Amino acid sequence: MKCRGSYGEYQKCLSTRQQLDAQLNENGLVKDELVRLEEGATVYKMIGPVLVKQDQDEAKQTVQKRIDYISEQLKKHDCLIKDLEKKQDSHRENLQKLQHQFQQSQVKAATRA
Amino acid sequence: MPGKEVPITELGPSHLNQLSQQLDQEIEFIQNSMSQLKVVQTKFVESRDSLDKIIPDNKGKEILVPLTSSMYVNGQLSDVEKVLINIGTGYYIEKPIPEAKEYFKRKMEYLTTQIEKLQPALQEKYKMKQAVVEMLQVKVQAQIAAQQQVAKS
Repeated sequence: MKCRGSYGEYQKCLSTRQQLDAQLNENGLVKDELVRLEEGATVYKMIGPVLVKQDQDEAKQTVQKRIDYISEQLKKHDCLIKDLEKKQDSHRENLQKLQHQFQQSQVKAATRA
Repeated sequence: MPGKEVPITELGPSHLNQLSQQLDQEIEFIQNSMSQLKVVQTKFVESRDSLDKIIPDNKGKEILVPLTSSMYVNGQLSDVEKVLINIGTGYYIEKPIPEAKEYFKRKMEYLTTQIEKLQPALQEKYKMKQAVVEMLQVKVQAQIAAQQQVAKS
């Protein structure tokens, strides 16, 4: 049961990591585009259903901040995933040991009977 | 597989089965990613092609503007110089037509390189899958043979 629980957690962690990766990628592409922009080009930001004009530098800053934040989150998740992998391995070992013991005791019971 | 490498000749049938299932999942994932990339690429192609219609000659002409996928309203093409492009995460930028075309061309090239990067990975997985399946067959046959031997004696 413990094994299954940690597996679910592991899966959840993996999918968040994937999401973070996708977000980082998208923000990276946006940053590339913003860097390529000429001086004075207009940038709009979608806020709900409206487009709002935004300063180029401000947009660049926001995107950079997002990238920094997401990278940090990614690092945290990598650590978490590693921990969970370790935990899973130890659970698996435990399980194998228990199964082995169970089999041995069964064999013993069979020979006794 | 984490930890040390294990040659597939040393794995038992159940492990091989597991491995083959895992490879199936990976192959499916890569194929999905590829088809998604292709869908996005056709979207870029469509966008770039529709830019060909926005030329000074067409200024002031009537157009049908889609409000939803099934409802249109009449409109007039007033600006043939610039377009707004969604560059992702809610940001839109205004670009003159030639630059917009350049943008789409760049995006298409980017996607092509991404698809090309996936191709060898997919091939690799296919090869691995084939090797695993072959090994599985050998193992199963060996097992059956061993069982028959036991039954005979």
